[in-house]
Amino acid sequence: MRRRAQKSGASAAKSYWGFDEYLKRAERRDRLARYVIASGGYGIIFIILLILFFLIYQSFPLALPASVRQFLSFTVDGPVSPVLMVGSDEYLQVAFTLNDRGEIRFFAVHEDSIQRIIAPAARLPLNGNEKILSVSRASPRMFRLAAGTSQGRIFSLEVGFEVTYQNGQRIVRPRVESVRFFQAESSSAEGVLHIEQLIYRQTEEEYELWVWRNHAGELHYRIEDEFGNLLYSGLFFRPEGEDRITAMAMNEAGDVLIAGTNSGYLHWFDFSDPAGVYRVDRWHAGYEPVTATDFLIGNEALIVGDAAGQVSEWFRVRTPDNVFRFQKIRSFHPHPAAVTRIAVSPRNRNFVTVDRRGNVQLHYATTGRTQAKFRSAGEQLLAVQFAPKSDAILLVDGRNRLAIFRLNNPHPEVTLKTLFGRVWYESYPGPEFVWQSTGGTDDFEPKLSLVPLIFGTFKGTLYAMLFSVPLAVLAAIYVSQFAPRRLAQVVKPTVEIMAALPSVVIGFLAGLYFSPLFERHLMAILLLFFLFPFMLFAAVLIWRLVPERRRLTVPQGWELLYALPFVAAAFLLAFAMARPVEASLFAGDIRQWLGDVLGLEYDTRNSLVVGFALGFAVIPIIFTMAEDALSNVPASLTSAALALGASRWQTVRHIVVPAASGGIFAGIMLGFGRAVGETMIVLMATGNTPILDLNPFNGFRAMSACIAVEIPEAPVGGTLYRVLFLTALLLFLFTFVINTVAAVVGDQLRKKYARF
Amino acid sequence: MAQRQDMDIQTGLREVSGTGKKPVFSDVAIETIDLNFFYGPENRALKNISIQIPRRQVTAFIGPSGCGKSTLLRCFNRMNDLIPGAYLTGKVLVDGEDIYREGIRLETLRRRVGMVFQKSNPFPMSIWENVAFGPKVNGERDPAVLEEIVERALRQADLWDEVKDRLHQSALDLSGGQQQRLCIARALANRPEIILMDEPASALDPISTGKIEETITELKKEFTIVIVTHNMQQAARISDYTAFLMMGELVEFDRTDALFTNPREKLTEQYITGRFG
Repeated sequence: MRRRAQKSGASAAKSYWGFDEYLKRAERRDRLARYVIASGGYGIIFIILLILFFLIYQSFPLALPASVRQFLSFTVDGPVSPVLMVGSDEYLQVAFTLNDRGEIRFFAVHEDSIQRIIAPAARLPLNGNEKILSVSRASPRMFRLAAGTSQGRIFSLEVGFEVTYQNGQRIVRPRVESVRFFQAESSSAEGVLHIEQLIYRQTEEEYELWVWRNHAGELHYRIEDEFGNLLYSGLFFRPEGEDRITAMAMNEAGDVLIAGTNSGYLHWFDFSDPAGVYRVDRWHAGYEPVTATDFLIGNEALIVGDAAGQVSEWFRVRTPDNVFRFQKIRSFHPHPAAVTRIAVSPRNRNFVTVDRRGNVQLHYATTGRTQAKFRSAGEQLLAVQFAPKSDAILLVDGRNRLAIFRLNNPHPEVTLKTLFGRVWYESYPGPEFVWQSTGGTDDFEPKLSLVPLIFGTFKGTLYAMLFSVPLAVLAAIYVSQFAPRRLAQVVKPTVEIMAALPSVVIGFLAGLYFSPLFERHLMAILLLFFLFPFMLFAAVLIWRLVPERRRLTVPQGWELLYALPFVAAAFLLAFAMARPVEASLFAGDIRQWLGDVLGLEYDTRNSLVVGFALGFAVIPIIFTMAEDALSNVPASLTSAALALGASRWQTVRHIVVPAASGGIFAGIMLGFGRAVGETMIVLMATGNTPILDLNPFNGFRAMSACIAVEIPEAPVGGTLYRVLFLTALLLFLFTFVINTVAAVVGDQLRKKYARF
Repeated sequence: MAQRQDMDIQTGLREVSGTGKKPVFSDVAIETIDLNFFYGPENRALKNISIQIPRRQVTAFIGPSGCGKSTLLRCFNRMNDLIPGAYLTGKVLVDGEDIYREGIRLETLRRRVGMVFQKSNPFPMSIWENVAFGPKVNGERDPAVLEEIVERALRQADLWDEVKDRLHQSALDLSGGQQQRLCIARALANRPEIILMDEPASALDPISTGKIEETITELKKEFTIVIVTHNMQQAARISDYTAFLMMGELVEFDRTDALFTNPREKLTEQYITGRFG
């Protein structure tokens, strides 16, 4: 018989013409299937790597250091008349210099050369031997200038740049406008009428303000209205004894004047009321003479440089006795010699300090970082200014050589410390973690701490997991181990439908419907936290009173129905008791009470609501995986335990749950990963306040929601844009780590408990 | 009806035969009365089974596949309860108590009637924990007592010498035969009165099988053992009484030597001589 079968098989193979062909085709299909499946798998890995690469590519430039390179240099004119002011137009096409004879020269700046523009050169109408001693800029954003002379006169002028387009080319026509002067000092014993130092401001009300130190070391001021009428003028400060004013700075708004002395004191004068200029405070900045000082944009932060080369930042902080005092916030990398000049960026918190020996340092105030150190050719730098777009630094040295340094510094405000550490921002009481990426004005200081966002993400996740893990795992245990088959067949698909609900719907309901409801019935809901377990416990106790004989007749799994009335009673009781309890124990208003007594602020969109909503989204994931794992525990183990006299619950607790622990854990971690990455729910139901507070009654801002909210408004390639990509990268890494931990630990648990 | 009274030489058990077809005992561990078992309304697996299982003897159930021998065995500790839709009529008495009456605690019943399954199914725990599981879930907490129980059970199952040095290693690292003896030890640790064995050696090699059989022979001094087997030689070797089931009916139940050497029923004879099965 066997032989016959062999024979017939062989003859069939031979006689059937397509047999070899068939084998080949099967092989081909095998190969094809293998390639298609493998390419699918590798494709997914490749795409994930691509996403990772893209995120890194977008956020990596944040880590690049600032670069400064000398671009051009040019001798302005002979060393006879030192240059006192230098500047350029917005696109660095035309630069100008102002020397001590009042001559303003313009230069055309090209890619590879600088040319003197002869034609529109201008000259201030100075007298024969009159020299300019001091120059001031009204704001770092424009070239409204004031110049004080050796004959007590103060000139005002504006260097403007008129832009026209010809054949698509940008033509910049520089000009000098509205030149005028007044006699600031007219009498002196020695006949010297020097304007030694000068500050010029234009206030918001279009008033013009000049403050100067004269030959006698006195501080004078003059205020004119927009039509040039004199409003106030006079002497407001005369130093005593050996003290001399060595440096002055005024904020852009023109209400705070700081004067530094040779003994290291700083005097603070208040100009907010022009009629009553007075000294607010005087404090010791250090033991070295103050040699240079200036305000950064934004009117708050003061930079002070001293004769020893120290550079520090100061701003006003509220003291415990509720007055504002200037306080030293941070120090920067010191110079080896006295700081002679400070130039501030018109765009951000960048500033440049220059010392007596010609060293230049570029700092960023918020980060406290000194980003670059470089030298111009000559020593003794006379003038230093930022270009209007903060992309170049213009320097003039003692030999009247103009040097232009290109500055490539797109993301100065980001360091590891500002992203993850506490930073003392302007007008904050101390170092804090703050996320506030944009503000109302251009001179706003961006605060880009990722800590509140990371905290927010994990806060939301924490409350979601607190709500969903017990519920999902216990439901999975009930459905897979106790529930009657018919009930399980209803519950399982229902929970799976929960997963299909779009998160935007959940977020919408939570944010717009449930939050107000929650707020209105807060007391009842809080009571429910106690009443629900209490009533269930009561239900069990009462159940125990039923004779055992009767209890055993109830089919297994249906006992739950008996508990339903108790659950309903818990709800009814909670809502019935809410009002009296609130009135008697919580002074009639639980929200008020939370704030007053526990210090827990209550927001309508709060973490508790999010916890429920996000938990709702997470439950199906945990439930499905846990239920699968529990159902997959082989019946042989359960039977063995039952046959040993274990009760159903003992079997579940000691055998089934440990055996399924790998799957349950993996489900929890997957749910955790989902909660971390979830966007719409946290976006719509949290209020998106980036605060660091575990209080369940207020909101938070999650990383995902922050990206969704801010990326449409972030300029492409800007710091915020890249920081948001960094946030996305972090989010990616978090979920990656969570999923990896889930896989590894799940595997370990499975190896340990689920070898069947 | 003639009363036949024999004395079992070994145990002194009095066998009281009523019908001439089935032995009747004075010391009965399990008794079924008109037991019918249904896996569903259409699927009647046991038909009017009335049988008495003698105490401290080995009783073997033999029969072709699907004859209901395992079903009958599982009626004795109500393991069939787990099967949805299954039900039975008639009575099962363990020590004279109806175990299917309302209000019976399954945990107590199963502690008294232990079971060893066809496929060894140790828990994914250490050897020690496996054996101690039964006493623990039945309320024994004293570690000293547990130690003693575990050692005794392992010795009874003839496993102690092999595992005493690795009690706290995973039970899953044992060989198949050792695992099955561990399952026996696990059942013994509850100190049951009756041990049900559902083809305990069917998945094992001859050497392991031999060991299990030795163990069973040892155990009958102390326990009532009911064993299901499809291996007739095994039944002949280890059992004192043998029941032959077919198509859900009890065809013949007698002393093993009698049943195998001189079967009263034609079906039995055909089966044990290998004409079918």
